[in-house]
Amino acid sequence: MQREYRFIGRETARKDGLGIVRGREKFIDDLKLPGMLQAKILRSPHPHALIKYIDTSRAAKLDGVKAVLTYKDTPPWKGGLPPHLGVLSNVLRYTGDAVALVAAETEEAAEMALDYIDVEYVPLEAVYDAEEAIKPGAPQLYPQFPGNSFPLACPWMGENSLQEVAMGDVERGFAEADIVVEGSCRYDNIPNPLPLEPPGVIAAWEGPRDLTVWSSTQTPYFLKMMLHYTMGRINVRSIAAHCGGSFGTKAVPWQLVFYAAALARVSKRPVKLFYSKAEHFAAYTLRLGSAFSGKIGIKKDGRVMAVAGEWLINSGYCSDAAQGMVAVGCGEVQLLIRCPNWAVKPKLVCTNRNASKMVRGYGGQELEAAFLPVLNLALAKAGVDPFVFFKQNYVKPGDDYFWRDGNRWVCRGIDYSAAMEKGAEVFGWKEKWKGWLKPSSVDGPHRTGVGVGVHGNADVGEDVSEAYVRLDPDATCVIYSCVSEHGTGQRSSLCKMVAEVLNIPLEAVSLAPPDSLVNPYEFGPVGSRGTYAIGSAVIRAAEDAKRKLLSRGAALFQCPAEELETKDGFIFRKDDPENKLPWKATGFDQTYMGYGRFEPDFSVPNFVMIFVEVEVDMETGKIAVKRVVGATDVGQIIDPQSLLHQMHGCLGSAGLDSAIFEESVLDKKLGRILNPNMVDYKWRTFLELPVFEAVILETPINTHLFNSVGFGEIVTSPAPSAVLMAVSNAVGRFFDTYPITPEMILQTPGKGRLKA
Amino acid sequence: MKENGLLLMVNGQSYEFKIGTGPGEVSPSHTLARTLREDLGLTGTKVGCNKGECGACTVLLEGTPVLSCLTLTVECNGKRVTTIEGLEDPETGELDPVQQSFLESGAFQCGFCTPGMIMTVKALLGDMPAPTELEIKEALSGHYCRCISHYHVLDAVGRAIGKRG
Amino acid sequence: MKPFRHINVPGVAEAVDYLNKFPGSSRLIAGGTDLLGVLKDDILPAYPELLINIKAIPGLDYLREDENGLSIGALVKLAFLARSPLVREKYKVLADAARSVGTPQLRNMATVGGNLGQETRCWYYRYPHGIGGRIQCQRKGSGPCLAVGGDNRYHVIMGGKGCFAACPSDLATALAALEGSIKTEGAGGGRIISIGEFFHPLGNALKAGEMIVELQVPPLPAGSRQHWLKYTLREPVDFAVVSVAVLTVLEAGICREARIALGAVAPGPLRALQAEQFLKGKEPIPEVLQEAAVLAVQGAKPLSKNGYKVEIARVLVLRALEASFAGHK
Repeated sequence: MQREYRFIGRETARKDGLGIVRGREKFIDDLKLPGMLQAKILRSPHPHALIKYIDTSRAAKLDGVKAVLTYKDTPPWKGGLPPHLGVLSNVLRYTGDAVALVAAETEEAAEMALDYIDVEYVPLEAVYDAEEAIKPGAPQLYPQFPGNSFPLACPWMGENSLQEVAMGDVERGFAEADIVVEGSCRYDNIPNPLPLEPPGVIAAWEGPRDLTVWSSTQTPYFLKMMLHYTMGRINVRSIAAHCGGSFGTKAVPWQLVFYAAALARVSKRPVKLFYSKAEHFAAYTLRLGSAFSGKIGIKKDGRVMAVAGEWLINSGYCSDAAQGMVAVGCGEVQLLIRCPNWAVKPKLVCTNRNASKMVRGYGGQELEAAFLPVLNLALAKAGVDPFVFFKQNYVKPGDDYFWRDGNRWVCRGIDYSAAMEKGAEVFGWKEKWKGWLKPSSVDGPHRTGVGVGVHGNADVGEDVSEAYVRLDPDATCVIYSCVSEHGTGQRSSLCKMVAEVLNIPLEAVSLAPPDSLVNPYEFGPVGSRGTYAIGSAVIRAAEDAKRKLLSRGAALFQCPAEELETKDGFIFRKDDPENKLPWKATGFDQTYMGYGRFEPDFSVPNFVMIFVEVEVDMETGKIAVKRVVGATDVGQIIDPQSLLHQMHGCLGSAGLDSAIFEESVLDKKLGRILNPNMVDYKWRTFLELPVFEAVILETPINTHLFNSVGFGEIVTSPAPSAVLMAVSNAVGRFFDTYPITPEMILQTPGKGRLKA
Repeated sequence: MKENGLLLMVNGQSYEFKIGTGPGEVSPSHTLARTLREDLGLTGTKVGCNKGECGACTVLLEGTPVLSCLTLTVECNGKRVTTIEGLEDPETGELDPVQQSFLESGAFQCGFCTPGMIMTVKALLGDMPAPTELEIKEALSGHYCRCISHYHVLDAVGRAIGKRG
Repeated sequence: MKPFRHINVPGVAEAVDYLNKFPGSSRLIAGGTDLLGVLKDDILPAYPELLINIKAIPGLDYLREDENGLSIGALVKLAFLARSPLVREKYKVLADAARSVGTPQLRNMATVGGNLGQETRCWYYRYPHGIGGRIQCQRKGSGPCLAVGGDNRYHVIMGGKGCFAACPSDLATALAALEGSIKTEGAGGGRIISIGEFFHPLGNALKAGEMIVELQVPPLPAGSRQHWLKYTLREPVDFAVVSVAVLTVLEAGICREARIALGAVAPGPLRALQAEQFLKGKEPIPEVLQEAAVLAVQGAKPLSKNGYKVEIARVLVLRALEASFAGHK
């Protein structure tokens, strides 16, 4: 039986809702500081080149131009993992790489100035494919990374961060298998998560070592720490504006900060850098390129005996989190299938294209999208129903796995089978599944097919969160938790949790602005950790504050604090609720500050299963997603609207549609992304909405007071491979690359009425 | 209006501008989105792609939804512009029913696309008493929302239609 | 956006005057939906000094039907054309084509003249200057067409020469099926250009200092039916991968006339004359329509990555013919 709550699980308006519908919420580009300059960036015309000569004197003399910087005069800050990129460099590694920075009084003046910077380049040979980049003789991007291979280590996840899946004895596993398949699949279309709002920052120096940064970050405190370490241990105050969508991409926009802060330092003025949409497309964050090739051995009944292969990952010209994504991807794939013998070796490669960075799905989506189609070959041979397979295999309480820190964890979450069953029932899986490569229905040239995917993440309990909760004499309270609002409703959900703990009206709870100056350490709302990790810190802080309040109340009521309770700003004995005193009676102008901290816990994976039905027009190659069912169990719903929103998010942020039309089209002769605009980059519109049903169960999970687990980050991940499966079944052949284009459908033999 | 002057009627208020390139003047290359945001401080109108491909900057020009990032301010002389800030009752602050419906349906996640969508829906419900679901989707088909709040937006539009009785 | 000067003109004569006073350094602006994107991305080697605003020219947004057919003023908005009961009733392909363009807001702004005069969507041509500099090519006056050896999935399968960019105008395809033409004004007076002559591989037939003032559609053949199909990955926003406009006349079960216009497969709208000829005098049974569909794209020379457009074009022709002939019943 679920507990009855006053706010938890109930529909409540978002705290910022009024501001949003009135157009009053302030996003980064809505902020203006006195004397603020605008920055623009001159970008490389070559995918790989050296700057032979650069002269900014003509640009610097233009009206309104206040600073022009090149690699010769930028500070020695260094970012990347391991640190490998300065502010600017004389080596340019992708078309669009920053050549020079300009700050001017107006955007137009800055843009004009770019044309007055004189540069001579020495073009170098470039490489775009990971396979090519690791060959001997390939152009080399960095002398310190021979073979274009980034070292596999992610120190901030621990000394032994997981950089492969290795256990058991794969040779023995293959020997014991009934069916062994070999295959490969590429998920290398580098889709763009593309939040509507482009990334932006404002940098202002308050002193020689004191920098204030306003940004559209998702994780303001984590950004502060990252900047502290990459910018020479300076003091950073990091303030988040309302964030117009992030999906991971805006968590740590360190490069934008480098650019703006360098210009601000020289010009002694605040500098704003707000990317154009073209820059957002061609010079910001893409998904990792991913290819799996290997061997999978299974028993006839579908039990997986061995998995061996190479996971080749293309991170573009830099890595700032890819090793972390490798670690999480290697962990997540183990949640999906039970297998005693593994030998999956990642290889992380740099190439001359725009960078892949942190994105929702964080390694797991990329690995699974490439790995599962190979597994499907084996399941098809064995005639195993993929739904049944996933249900049997998905991690259950007591199962173990190696997580990103390299340690072995034992699942102490719940069995998600009930949610899977319910999802399959709502979708009608049993009726629609006709077997591998068999359409569910055929109507003239239109064939429907179904697919299913599953995903989960134990990062819901990653990293550290701290929070304070302050009770005020006026029976209100303030939460100090450095969380920005990027669309998940997390700030409002934290208020609900605290209102529930303190049993006060939601209106009486507010959250301090997302500013690192006033809030304690917070890793931030990423990896679905908002509910469990951040929630735990906030709940504990509220409980701590409540404890302090009640222990003062104990003196007034002359009874142990345990016998007291509080509601709506009053204290009373549990056995005598009518005899109550207001908070303010506990002390003259007395406030109470509670503190809460959360330590990492990787033992509670969350879960989502996505069912899709597609319709393929065999004569034109057009694919329509007709229906999606998402199934999960979150323990306890915190906010129904926000949860449903997260589920629907499956269709966005380089998720489901990266299987059929989302891709960054890279011209591999020029090294340019050809579709850096919102006409040629395809996204789902109101007219292409599939029927979407969500199945959300609430089986209490052993996390915190509310037995709840976060959900949002994972929902895009199972979708691409599920769509690939659905299209395969509709069309009658397997695909080994994304996205599936009309051209690929039309190559299917015997598909239509017309012969050439 | 003088040759080098410009009159805009924004949310019921008149604003006069000089056309020129000096501070505070409207340059011929300034878009309506920029003038609203930078000169009038009406930052509720969002700029997403700045090329008319995402719908975020939608405002009503003489009651019709247009893309303010592809509209030159100098071409709006004497025209009536309504932005998200102009929907609520200026006296009481009461929300427009469309705003109220978006709020009640929770029809937003990050909220960056919301003002533009509200403007489109406002115009749609002004033109059509009871649009069908397909007509609603068509009207909104130029609005990009990457968080995928579409289903809640459709709910909000239905709610707004309901509010009119 | 980089600065420019801007002038409002009261009439066509003044617009033409300014165009001729600033040859090569002035551009007309009406809806602005295409031009401002071009300027913001700064894709052209020469940035205009002057924009000539024709939006406010009175009396250029008319829709008139008389014994000579339909005349459409260049400033008619796409949304107006798409909604017009007259056009929807009688010139269906034109209304459907207009309605298929872009998004509602774009159609509220964009004009019919602009739809025909817009710049190509070739993504090499359109590559933004801000990301490493614009791409030079034949169409811009120098350099090779990069689409030939590059990603040409949206480029032409017929009629390319020097440039292989596809015609982006949906109205052009519809007009071709209606045998329409374009009326212009210029320094040397006006002329009428048939839609089939308007586009060429490197641009269009407009001379320097000449502007589109009207679209003309001659009277329709009695009893004709029309059908429009546009293939895109998504219904709104997208430019055509392939579009088809057909017009058919059926008498006593026999095809008396068939016009088939293909869009986005060539530098301009393409009439499938061979297929049209084949259909004439035949009963439109499935085998005949299939044969016509195959004939419609005979001679196509797809580039490395756009062969699929040939297949889609065939299917679209077949489906459009089926629908149009079905409309006679």
